[in-house]
Amino acid sequence: MTKYRVAIDIGGTFTDLVALNEKNGKILNIKIPSTPREPAKAVIKAFQEFLGKTNNAEVSVIIHATTIATNALLGQLNLELPKTALITTKGFRDIIEIGRQRRHELYNLFIQKPRTLIPRTLRFEVEERTGPKGEILTPLNKNQLESLAKQLENENVKSVVVALLFSYINQKHEHEIGKILNKALPKTYVSLSSEIAPEYREYERTSTAVVNAVLMPIVSRYLDDLQRKIGKLRVKAPLCIMQSDGGIATKNVASKKPVSMVESGPAAGVIASAFYGKLLGINNILSFDMGGTTAKAGAIKEATPEVVSEYEVAGKVHSGRIVKGSGYPVRYPFIDLAECSAGGGTIAWVDEGKTLQVGPISAGAEPGPACYGKGGKQPTVTDANVVLGRLNPKYMLGGRMEIYPKLSEKAILREIGGKIRLELAEAAAGIIKIADSAMAKILRIVSVERGHDPRDFVLMCFGGAGPMHSCALAEELKITKIIVPHNPGLFAAHGLLAADFRNNLVKAIMKLTEEVEVKRVEAVFQKLELQGAKVLEKQRVPKVNIHFIRQMDLRYFGQSYELAISTFKPLTEKVLHRTVESFHKKHRAIYGYAVKDEPVELVNVKLIAVGILEKPKLEEKPPLHGEKPSKEATIAKRKVFFEQDNGYIETSVYRRERLKAGTVINGPAVVEQYDATTLVYPDWMAFVDRFENIVLSIGNGGS
Amino acid sequence: MSLDSITVEVIKGALTYAAEEMGIVLRNSAYSPNIKERMDFSCTLFDHKKRLAAQAEHIPVHLGSMQLAVQKGLEKFKGRLENGDMILFNDPYISGTHLPDITLICPIFHEHKIIAYSANKAHHSDVGGKAPGSMAGDATEIYQEGIIIPPVKFVKRKGIDKEIASILLSNVRTPEIRLGDLRAQMAANLLGKKRVLELVDRYGVETLHRAMEEIMNYSERRMRIEISKMPKGSFSAEDYLENTGTSNKKVKIKVTVTIKKNQLIIDYTGTDKQVNGPVNAVLGVTLSGVYYALRCLTDPTIPMNDGCYRPVEIRVREGTLMNPTPPAPVAGGNVETSQRNVDVLLKAFAQILPEKVCAACQGTMNNIAVGGINPENGKPWTFYETIAGGFGGRRGIDGVDAIHTHMTNTMNTPIEAIESIHPIRFLKYELRENSGGAGKWRGGVGLERSWMLLASSATLSVLAERTKMSPWGLYGGKSGAKGEYYIIKPNGKRMKLRSKCTVKFEKGDVFVVRTPGGGGYGNPMEREPKLVLHDVLNGLVSLEAAKKDYGVAIDPVTMKIDWKSTELVRAKQKT
Repeated sequence: MTKYRVAIDIGGTFTDLVALNEKNGKILNIKIPSTPREPAKAVIKAFQEFLGKTNNAEVSVIIHATTIATNALLGQLNLELPKTALITTKGFRDIIEIGRQRRHELYNLFIQKPRTLIPRTLRFEVEERTGPKGEILTPLNKNQLESLAKQLENENVKSVVVALLFSYINQKHEHEIGKILNKALPKTYVSLSSEIAPEYREYERTSTAVVNAVLMPIVSRYLDDLQRKIGKLRVKAPLCIMQSDGGIATKNVASKKPVSMVESGPAAGVIASAFYGKLLGINNILSFDMGGTTAKAGAIKEATPEVVSEYEVAGKVHSGRIVKGSGYPVRYPFIDLAECSAGGGTIAWVDEGKTLQVGPISAGAEPGPACYGKGGKQPTVTDANVVLGRLNPKYMLGGRMEIYPKLSEKAILREIGGKIRLELAEAAAGIIKIADSAMAKILRIVSVERGHDPRDFVLMCFGGAGPMHSCALAEELKITKIIVPHNPGLFAAHGLLAADFRNNLVKAIMKLTEEVEVKRVEAVFQKLELQGAKVLEKQRVPKVNIHFIRQMDLRYFGQSYELAISTFKPLTEKVLHRTVESFHKKHRAIYGYAVKDEPVELVNVKLIAVGILEKPKLEEKPPLHGEKPSKEATIAKRKVFFEQDNGYIETSVYRRERLKAGTVINGPAVVEQYDATTLVYPDWMAFVDRFENIVLSIGNGGS
Repeated sequence: MSLDSITVEVIKGALTYAAEEMGIVLRNSAYSPNIKERMDFSCTLFDHKKRLAAQAEHIPVHLGSMQLAVQKGLEKFKGRLENGDMILFNDPYISGTHLPDITLICPIFHEHKIIAYSANKAHHSDVGGKAPGSMAGDATEIYQEGIIIPPVKFVKRKGIDKEIASILLSNVRTPEIRLGDLRAQMAANLLGKKRVLELVDRYGVETLHRAMEEIMNYSERRMRIEISKMPKGSFSAEDYLENTGTSNKKVKIKVTVTIKKNQLIIDYTGTDKQVNGPVNAVLGVTLSGVYYALRCLTDPTIPMNDGCYRPVEIRVREGTLMNPTPPAPVAGGNVETSQRNVDVLLKAFAQILPEKVCAACQGTMNNIAVGGINPENGKPWTFYETIAGGFGGRRGIDGVDAIHTHMTNTMNTPIEAIESIHPIRFLKYELRENSGGAGKWRGGVGLERSWMLLASSATLSVLAERTKMSPWGLYGGKSGAKGEYYIIKPNGKRMKLRSKCTVKFEKGDVFVVRTPGGGGYGNPMEREPKLVLHDVLNGLVSLEAAKKDYGVAIDPVTMKIDWKSTELVRAKQKT
């Protein structure tokens, strides 16, 4: 019987269910309006539709991306945070509140810190102290703990965090406390900082454990409930969750470490890009996702998505980067994403200094851009695209939604043109240019700022609005090849279908590489491998599918930020030497210099245990070769504005669904499909490949 | 032909981004925690006329000093700069801050002409002088505060000038780290240079220059609009530094703010003369305080550049505390007087913009520098930090607890990082009870931080304020608690330290810092009793203080509000 692999991506507006027929590679898409107060409701509805359409097909696995963790911390969803307590070393219960003592906005006299997740009344201190070498300076006072356990019980605490100084180097006291609590309070969730984030820096480690503890009851309840409801539909497949690093884990594993899934959703788009990259033999990809309110950029280098080791959950974004101190720090591998408020619905306006600005405010879905005719008066990026003839001036969503270009023109003339004396087309082109420069910046953040040359990358452009801006961004970054996937609007959900199981482990070492005993570090790696394999085997990953990736966090002694460098098994003096060499190289690439005679410190060893899941086999079309688009694919001609010519050019418009694999189109051209429009600039050539992706390339396409 | 506003906006974004990116490179490649973890630096780009074109939001105390530094620091190199050169200096009378801040400027050449400059300034945790950390609380002349480097060609085409480097490194306590940090500063400037040249490639020099000019005009326009919205008139305020570090004499700062149509005059007439302690604030520091206050009171999204300076006239007489002449010592002016400067400015503005200001914040940075010989490796060690305190109450919301305020925003160093490399052991790091000034909106609380010395001996410098004169409240709000610094000997004996001092201390001694709280805003008797109870339950206000300062009676057994007696006490207070 045919089995389906099912992905569920819950977004702010829509809940997408994407099902892959594992036999023929065909994909079934179901879109249901989201039910933010009760996210499971939309999921069940989507499932019912899926089961109806497939005559109750069997499901092999369900992979789910959820924003429940972030939403809970942002105070959305009306979710009351569970009562959580914190146990710290005596004298240090306020580390979690003092944080890094920094305010996240410099010139705001009305600044406020993010609300404290654990009130001071629930922060307790125990007598104990471990020193910087792991030596016990004050033994743990266990008597104190018994009365503390009682107090926690009386207070009806649901979740407890234990975060002691130097526990990353010696876990003894945290373990002892964990044991006592587990015994005394069997129903209470316990998070140990040395298990959740065994790295140095007390605030970040404590914060990670606190976020974990606060999320545990919420996430467990949500996932149990979801599984039960899906079970009621007689679907017995395991439920897996996408983590922030782009890997997946089963419900049971994810519930224990919910801190691993705070950026569950955004990771999926990058994983999808990486998967398509592999399919097409492309190793270096800039992944670019532009939707209604934001644009997100990520990088894939040598077929591996770039990850960062820290993130601030519920933090504020300022010019592409998360502002330190505005959220809750979490140490965990996160797919490295930069974000800006530039989407189709982003509003353009003129400030007091008479300068055109785009964002950060969005018209959202209601009232939406002026051209929707739903009462929006502010011009948006979408309105600019309508005025420039890039978007279909009559309808969207394949005719389901009418468009009123006059309203776009009016809004732009009134709010922009009239205020800074610009012609309609100039003003509209200006809006696009400013939005494009903000988006180019986030692409720079994930490439140039990380030491990569964007010219070595292919741009993967998706999201409803992405393919309209892809040529402009590519030209800005001097990228020569773009891929617009078959279904740009549902692309992120495809990432869920292509993800592997991943388990991240880390152990602090804090030794100069010249003093490292390779045998001992190899033993640490092996121990982590055993741990990682165990977690994967529990999730029924067959042994043969388990692989390990080894990394070392290295820095020059005295520095306080480290770089993650890949290393190999088994660790020998030679391998260590090679790893240090790669560190110098990477340091030079990112920071412009390397100091070979400087001692290098090994801060952490990291192990990623990967459980490879069989990749979906996408439907392949027999390719034609360099065919011109068929007559039925050519649906119209209209005037489209192109910046290079500073004017409107008569441009052919094609229906994407009717473009056969192998078709070649020379720019300028517009390709329309249900939920996205691809703009092909002059000098660019579009080619429809065998998976029906549009591949855009510049230069030699003019022939 | 006028340059189109869209191109200007795109170039503006690119310049700001370049300055930010310089900061990322500097931070990531630096060695010392002071730069990496605490981000005590600033990165900027200048046009060919040495006018500030873009400054990344790093640290407010450098806001006004960078332009002065670039203009004054390059004077003597007129016509002598070559492609590949970088100019280094730390002379505060040129650089506009204090000796530990080392400025590095890189001229950017295009076709043999200087078309722009990239420049940055970073706080080095030691530049020599009498006390480790170069922040002696009792210096009487600048010569005691560290090595003074006049503007020199530190980098030439072939790299760092080893002769100059050796002079510099022979005068500091941790030379390897200094060199690492300087290399990071170079890397940041090189990046700025690269980015500017990329813009030249795309737009040409002329367009770039015109865009820079227009960006400055834009900031000026917006600044003037903001000023024109303020009530017109003249308003004065004064406040004091509690001592000079070398004497117990109070020092007055007086300021008169005059708001004209779309112009501001800030006049320091009435401010005391310069003193022979380290609290003199060089002109750059004074200007930074003014621009900081203005950014807070106007719209901080106005890009920081030369245009922001144009609508503001600052009058400050030479030879006074706010514009001293050499050889007055200045290490503390940057950190302490700069905070008081903001207090005075906000106090003046409070008279016309009560809804936009806050009560006094902690008013100090609590600079602590310590160092000696590390017994584990026999090498010298130094550690410098500044410590957070209370933010003043604001209309509608309480002040923030334990946070860096106004002119500084440096991060703390993780305890686990400090203990791993320095011979000290921390005992406490917590919020300080009853330190927030009572008010309808309470001032933020300060904090307590203490540690024990593990080496046989060390030298400790404290450079702080507000141990005698509390951070003031506004509109009926009470003052925040004063700061306290002391050493507890192993026998339990407590030695109180002055707010500016350098002392020797020994193994087993415990150093305790209790930082000031912010002032309260509005009458505390009008504070919502439930908020008072909340503070009591959280250990931020004691039961006694709840009753005495807020008139809220709380039953010590049930920990519930006794509404009847609360009403009584509050009614009594009113009459």
